[in-house]
Amino acid sequence: MTRFSYDDSDVVVVVGSGAGGGTVANELCQRGLKTVVLEAGPHLTGDDYHQDEWPAFAQMAWGDTRTTSGSWQVAKDFPNLPAWLVKAVGGTTTHWAGACPRFKAHEFTARSTYGDLDGTSLLDWPIALNELEPYYDKAEIKMGVTHRHGRPPLPANNNYKVFANGAEKLGYRYYSTGPYATNAEPYDGRPATLQDGFNFQGDKHGSKWSTLVAELPKAEKTGNLDLRPDSHVAQIEHDAAGRATGVLYIDRNGTLRRQRAAVVVVAGNSIETARLLLLSGSAQHPDGLANSSGQVGRNYMRHTTGTVWGQFDKPVRMWRGETMAGVIADESRLDTDRGFVGGYYMETISLGPAFLAKFIAPGRWGSHISDLLDNYRNTAGMWIVGEDMPREDNRVTLSGDTVDQHGLPVANVHFDDHPNDAAMRAHGQRQGASVYKAVGALKTIETPPYPSTHNLGTARMSQRPRDGVVDRYGRAHDVPNLFIADGSVFTTGAAANPTLTIVALATRQAEFIATELNKTLS
Amino acid sequence: MGSNLLSAQDRQTLVNVVYAAFPHSTFPRGPYERAADAVIAAAGTDPRFLAQLLQGLTDLNAQREVPFAELDVETAGAVLRGADGSPFLTGIVDSAVVTLYSDPEVWDLLGYEGPSYDQGGYVNRGFDDLDWLPDPKIEFEEEVPA
Repeated sequence: MTRFSYDDSDVVVVVGSGAGGGTVANELCQRGLKTVVLEAGPHLTGDDYHQDEWPAFAQMAWGDTRTTSGSWQVAKDFPNLPAWLVKAVGGTTTHWAGACPRFKAHEFTARSTYGDLDGTSLLDWPIALNELEPYYDKAEIKMGVTHRHGRPPLPANNNYKVFANGAEKLGYRYYSTGPYATNAEPYDGRPATLQDGFNFQGDKHGSKWSTLVAELPKAEKTGNLDLRPDSHVAQIEHDAAGRATGVLYIDRNGTLRRQRAAVVVVAGNSIETARLLLLSGSAQHPDGLANSSGQVGRNYMRHTTGTVWGQFDKPVRMWRGETMAGVIADESRLDTDRGFVGGYYMETISLGPAFLAKFIAPGRWGSHISDLLDNYRNTAGMWIVGEDMPREDNRVTLSGDTVDQHGLPVANVHFDDHPNDAAMRAHGQRQGASVYKAVGALKTIETPPYPSTHNLGTARMSQRPRDGVVDRYGRAHDVPNLFIADGSVFTTGAAANPTLTIVALATRQAEFIATELNKTLS
Repeated sequence: MGSNLLSAQDRQTLVNVVYAAFPHSTFPRGPYERAADAVIAAAGTDPRFLAQLLQGLTDLNAQREVPFAELDVETAGAVLRGADGSPFLTGIVDSAVVTLYSDPEVWDLLGYEGPSYDQGGYVNRGFDDLDWLPDPKIEFEEEVPA
């Protein structure tokens, strides 16, 4: 295990070890740069994970208090759990399922394509799809995405068979078992899936791509990685010239440490990244670090989501096999005649009885819940995930009075659904129900959004510094050696699950950082 | 765990409350007893909730001519709806929904197979054994439209 000195000001400090942080770290290490990764959570591995939903949640989830406000249903159902994220090495890549659609060209120009929609803060990205395509290729190869670059598709599991047959009957054409970042056959030193389910609970087998099993071990082999779990960053420091000089963090013993740095990369996921910038205010940055635009924490997006369950008179056993290895892409098309802008995907999903009972109608009880559970074996499930609208007032702020175990103000997440989001969710749930009815569902059930796993936009990319927080490489407009590497930088959310795009952007960013650093160091 | 303020009769009432909240006619009493005991254990570390639990159970028993535990399932459900949203019932439901549906005996009853890794997953144990629909395609040739 490599250790760099606290005073080594040549290192790059990466805050967070998930899709963005873990990827940037590995790419920098491969280029010979000394990299310190500070991860707030513990270092769990395959043997540690539970194939039991509640113990797994207790072990992995970011359970530190957060607060919520706004009219979204999550604030009512889960007031202190706005997001379902992981606090552990590997971040939320240990929880994600693996769905890997790319963004479409028009989704980088949402403002130009959808127009000036009332009550939104839509903006075009400062980059276009063709600039990102080479990095999408690199990301897909890195992650071993099925259906891409010669990687074979996953076979159809039971949940997919119901989903795909319904899609066919309904006239959908673009359904498949991927692209999906789990090995159908051995790849990159990792085994093929055992179809053991529990993708959300860490994946004991290591056949799913995560930074835990792929990027970080590769980075470690270079000798350039200093990975420090249980290290919660409290503040980013800067000098009089406005350059970041390092970070202050609380180590596993509760001791405040200073790690100096040449470059700081923040990748704590959209809620914690915004919180850290806001906590890092100073005389020079009175409203939070890198926040001269006032945009830090704003434009928070969570994707328009919902779940549809179909119950049949025959067994499905949806829990067997890869949880999300099924996608219908037909509704992801650009078609504003449906009563909303943006598109959405339908993707298979499965929950065990424990989570299904909790999430199917949060807080509710009675025979309508127990009757649904009685048909658990005969249930198929799909998730709707689509583009939601950025709004200036949907935002992460510091909570007034509530502090965490370190005394740091926690994040408050405020969210109001835009009417476009509500229209898309209704359309998606209607279409989802039709998919199941087409193959004989006796009953369909719609479940409201879960705590958010896709958290985006709170430090968005913009051409002009006044419109956002970072530039086309994720570099803070206000602080030249501060970078953001997670979904916070998404200017708009697109319909696609965000991980692939985060990895592509992080790969591109690392290349940029290495080029810049080599100029100054040589 | 537990509190000596809660009588054996209180515990039986609580078991019936959990049953009325999540009624499965096919389940034996064991899983409901375990869910009730988890509620009691939680109350043992939370004096405020314990007080609400003691008062709430007393209140339920006073709703009809006979104690709550002697009500038929429909009447018990109706009585329980009168307490919907109270800290008393919310505390019970929030705990019981987790315990009851995490109980391996309940998993068996529902046909859920639980952890699979130790048995090699489902790759050779039926992940694709659904036979009442044709085998669908798993990929397509063209590009998804923009």
